[in-house]
Amino acid sequence: MAQPLIKKDDDRDDEADYSPFLGIEKGAVLQEARVFNDPQLDARRCSQLYSSVLFRTDLGLFRVDSGYYQAFVSAESGRNLYKGQIEATEVFFAVTKLFQSRDIGLRRMVYLMIKELSPSADEVIIVTSSLMKDMNSKTDMYRANAIRVLCRITDGTLLTQIERYLKQAIVDKNPVVASAALVSGIHLLQTNPEIVKRWSNEVQEAVQSRAALVQFHALALLHQIRQNDRLAVSKLVTSLTRGTVRSPLAQCLLIRYTSQVIRESGGNTQTGDRPFYDYLESCLRHKAEMVIFEAAKAITELNGVTNRELTPAITVLQLFLSSSKPVLRFAAVRTLNKVAMTHPMAVTNCNIDIESLISDPNRSIATLAITTLLKTGNESSVDRLMKQITNFMSEIADEFKIVVVEAIRSLCLKFPLKYRSLMNFLSNILREEGGFEYKKAIVDSIVILISDIPDAKESGLLHLCEFIEDCEFTYLSTQILHFLGIEGPKTSDPSKYIRYIYNRVHLENATVRAAAVSTLAKFGALVDSLKPRIFVLLRRCLFDCDDEEPSEEPFDINSVPKEIKSQPLAEKKAPGKKQPTGAPPSGPPSPDDAYEKLLSSIPEFSGFGKLFKSSAPVELTEAETEYAVNAVKHIFDSHVVIQYNCTNTIPEQLLENVTVIVDASEAEEFSEVATKPLRSFPYDTPGQIFVAFEKPEGVTAVGKFSNMLRFIVKEVDLSTGEAEEDGVEDEYQLEDLEVVAADYMLKVPVSNFRNAWESMDPNGERVDEYGLGPRESLAEAVSAVINLLGMQPCEGTEVVPNNSRSHTALLSGVYIGNVKVLVRLSFGIDSSKEVAMKLAVRSEDENISDAIHEVVASG
Amino acid sequence: MGLWEAFLNWLRSLFFKQEMELSLIGLQNAGKTSLVNVVATGGYSEDMIPTVGFNMKKVTKGNVTIKLWDLGGQPRFRSMWERYCRAVSAIVYVVDAADPDNLSTSKSELHDLLSKPSLAGIPLLVLGNKIDKPGALSKQALTDEMGLKSIDDREVCCFMISCKNSTNIDSVIDWLVKHSKSKS
Repeated sequence: MAQPLIKKDDDRDDEADYSPFLGIEKGAVLQEARVFNDPQLDARRCSQLYSSVLFRTDLGLFRVDSGYYQAFVSAESGRNLYKGQIEATEVFFAVTKLFQSRDIGLRRMVYLMIKELSPSADEVIIVTSSLMKDMNSKTDMYRANAIRVLCRITDGTLLTQIERYLKQAIVDKNPVVASAALVSGIHLLQTNPEIVKRWSNEVQEAVQSRAALVQFHALALLHQIRQNDRLAVSKLVTSLTRGTVRSPLAQCLLIRYTSQVIRESGGNTQTGDRPFYDYLESCLRHKAEMVIFEAAKAITELNGVTNRELTPAITVLQLFLSSSKPVLRFAAVRTLNKVAMTHPMAVTNCNIDIESLISDPNRSIATLAITTLLKTGNESSVDRLMKQITNFMSEIADEFKIVVVEAIRSLCLKFPLKYRSLMNFLSNILREEGGFEYKKAIVDSIVILISDIPDAKESGLLHLCEFIEDCEFTYLSTQILHFLGIEGPKTSDPSKYIRYIYNRVHLENATVRAAAVSTLAKFGALVDSLKPRIFVLLRRCLFDCDDEEPSEEPFDINSVPKEIKSQPLAEKKAPGKKQPTGAPPSGPPSPDDAYEKLLSSIPEFSGFGKLFKSSAPVELTEAETEYAVNAVKHIFDSHVVIQYNCTNTIPEQLLENVTVIVDASEAEEFSEVATKPLRSFPYDTPGQIFVAFEKPEGVTAVGKFSNMLRFIVKEVDLSTGEAEEDGVEDEYQLEDLEVVAADYMLKVPVSNFRNAWESMDPNGERVDEYGLGPRESLAEAVSAVINLLGMQPCEGTEVVPNNSRSHTALLSGVYIGNVKVLVRLSFGIDSSKEVAMKLAVRSEDENISDAIHEVVASG
Repeated sequence: MGLWEAFLNWLRSLFFKQEMELSLIGLQNAGKTSLVNVVATGGYSEDMIPTVGFNMKKVTKGNVTIKLWDLGGQPRFRSMWERYCRAVSAIVYVVDAADPDNLSTSKSELHDLLSKPSLAGIPLLVLGNKIDKPGALSKQALTDEMGLKSIDDREVCCFMISCKNSTNIDSVIDWLVKHSKSKS
C-alpha cells in the first residue's frame, strides 16, 4: 500500500535517515483521496494518507499546498476553496467525520490531527462531545488519547465538568490512561492550577503505582503542585527517599528534588553530615545507569562538596569513561569536565582514561576530554593539547567551543608563562564566525587574562580593539569600550587606542556611541598629554549626538549655542564625518517623556491633553543639503503636533523668522491651529519649529502634508561672525510628511499572548481574509503588514523561518484612547508567490477592531 | 420499474447492505439526541445533557445502516451545521412543537441553512417533537409557522412525533429507509 505513495529519490542518498514520506507525489495523494468517498471507510488507507498529511503539517507546507488541500476537500464534498487558514479548518472538519470509524489506528490519527491543526477555540469545541464519549470508552487507547486531546483544547468551565473523570483516570489501572491524565495535569497546572491542586490525593496514590511511567509522571506532577511550598517538598523527598521508588526515571527526578532540598537547606554542613548524602551515595549502587549517573552528577554539584563526598561519585564516572555506550562516555566526561574546574585534583585519577578519549570518534567527547585534561594536566602537555584542539575547532558546535574557551582561560591563569600562545589562540578564534555566547566567552576570557596577567595587557587590549572594529554585538562593544576606558589610560601608549574608540562614534548605534564617548572622556581625564586632543573630539561628538538624537535632550539645545560661540564657527568638520542629520535615529524608541515635557512647556499646546505617542523622526531633506530637517509627529487625542527639527549647515548664513508653511489639502480631516516659528537660526545650531493641527477625536485621521520652509536669510561675515542688517526672504521645499494609521498605535508587548487573547471578549473579534497579491517573500509580506499596523510583534513571531509556506504572527498594541488591541495574522504563500492573509482582531472596543481592518483594507 | 429490475433490487438487498447518512439538527432542547436514542435503542430518558459538539451513531434498520450525525443545537454550533450536512442523504430538522417562543428562531435557522448552495436538493424531513405535551402545535400549524410551503427546491416532509411516547417513530424510520433506497 505504501509503495505508490513513495518515490525513490536518488539525490537524497547522502542523507542519514530517510523519511518514509520523502518524495511523496501530490498526484498520487490526490488519487488516494478517493478513499474518503468510499462508504466503507478503509481505515488503513486513511491512516496512511493522514500520516503523510501530518508529515506535511510538520513541515508547515500543508496549509498552502493546494494538492493536499484539494485531496481533503474533494474527499469531503468536492467543493473548491482557496488557500490560507481555510484549508486547516476544512481539513479539521473533514477529520472530525472520521470519528465514525472504530479503527484504533485511524482514531489515533484523528487525535493527532486535532492537536496538530489546533483550530480556533470556537471551532474545536465541536469535538468535545465525541472526546468525552471516548474518554469513557472501554478501549484504553481511546481513553488515554481522548484525555490528552481534551485537556489540550479545554477551558476552565469544561475542565470542571470533566474533572471527575480525570481524577478517576489518574488512578486507573491501565498505566497508559493514568499517564495520559497525569501528563495532562502537568500541562493544565499552567492554566488552571487551582483545579489541578485538588487532585493531590489521586496523584499521591499514583506515585505508588507499580507502572514505571505512571510513577514518573505522578512524581513530576506532585512535585509541581507543591513546588512553591518548601516544607512540603522537603517532606515529599524525606518520605520517598526512605521508601522504594521503582521507576528509574522517577528515581532520577527524586535525586534532582533531593539536590534542591539540600541546596535550600544548606548551611548546616559544618555541623556534621550533609542531609540526604547517604541517599545519594546509595543511588550510586543502583542497577540503572541513569540513576547512577544522576546521583554522581548531583554529588559533584553539591555546594562546598568535600573530597570525601566526591570520591565515590568520581569512581563511578571513571567506570563510565570506558563504557561502550557513547552517551555514558559523554555524560561522564562532561561531568568530570565541570568538576575539574573546581576540584582538578579529584579528577587527576581519571587522566589515563580521559587521555584515551581524545581519539574518540565522537567529536563532543573528544573536545570535553581535551578540555578536561587542559584543566588537570601539567605545563609540559599544554602545547601538545593546543595543537590537537586547533585541528578540530572548526568542526565542533558553539556550545563546545565555549567549553574549550573556558578551559583555555583557566589554563592560562594556571600557567601564566604560556599566555602568549593561549592569547594568540583566543584572538584567532575571536576573528572567526560565532554566536553571541561564544564571542562573549572569548571576550570575557581575554578581559580576565588582561586583568590577571600584566604581560598580556597590551596585546590583549589590541586584540579587543580589532574585534570592536567589526563587532555585531552591541553588548560586547560597550563592555569592551568600558574596559578600555579603565585599562587603556594605564598603558605605556594610550594614544594608540583613541582611533579605535573614536571610530565607534561614527560607525555604531546610539548605545555604542554613548559608550565610546564616555571612554574617550576617561582617557581625557586620566591622561594629561591627550587632554587637548580629546577635548576636540568630544566637542565634535557634542554636535553629532545632539543632531542625531534631538529627542534625548531637547532642553540642552539652549545651552549649546553658548558653547559654540566660544569656538571659531569655521572649524572644519572631521573628514568623512556624516551629515549630522543623515543617519537614521537609532536611539531608544520611546523618548516620549522628554517630548511630553517639551510640548507641555509650550503654552499653545498645553491644552491638548496627554501626549499619546511620538513618532520616530522622519527625514524631510536629503543628506548633504543646505538645511537639514526631520520631523516628529506627536499624536494627541484630538490634535497632532508636528515638530520640525532643523539644522542650518551653511556657515555664511543666519536665518530668521523661520516657519514651515504646511499645505494640508491632502489631509482633509486636519486643520492648522497654531504654529511656533523659530526667530533666529544660526549655523549648525539645531532649532525646532512646531505646527499644530486639530483633528476629529476618535477618528484615525490620515493624510499627506507638504512642507515648505520660509525664512529671511542674512549673510554672515565669517571673519567677524557678524550678520548683515538686511535680509532676503526665501523658501526651501521639504519633502512630504504623512500621518499614517500606525501613528495612532503604541507598541506595547504582552507577556503571554495566548492568555491575553483568551481573556478578550471573543464576541468583539473581527475576522476577515485578504489577498495581498504577489509578494517578494512571505517574510516581506509579514513585515509589511506589521509595519502598516505599527504594532508590537509578540513571542518572536515577526521572524519567518526560511522557506516556510505559512506563518502566524501575533501582535499587540494600544490604540489611541488607550484601547488594548491584539491581532493574529495568518499568512500563506503559494507557488506563484501569491500571499493570502487572515486577520483576526480582538480589542476592548469593536469599533477599533473594525478600524484595524480598515487600515489593512486600505493599506 | 420493470419486473426484472425489481427482482434485481430484491436480490441485491439480500446480499448488499444499504448505507445512508443523516444530519440531525435543530435548536437546543428540541429532542435530537433523544430521537437518536429512541431510533437506536427505543429508550427514553428525561434528563439529558446538552450535546457539546456532535454525537456520531450508527444504527442498522433491516438491511440499511444509518449513520447519524447528531449535532449540538446551541448558537455556537449553528454555524458549523452546514459542514455536517454536505452530501448527506437527508437533513432531519427537529422542532420543539410545544415551545412557541422559539419557533421564529427555529424557522430562520432552517431557512438560513437551506440557502447554502452546498446543500441544494438534499431532502428535508421536519419533525415536530413533544406532541405529548399540552399546547403542542398541530402539523398544519407547524408547517405554516416554519414556512415549509415556501421551500420548493427539494423534497420536504413533515411528521409530528413524540420521542417520550415513541409516537410516529416508525413512520420516521420508514421514510428514512425509503430514502436510502432512492439514493443508492
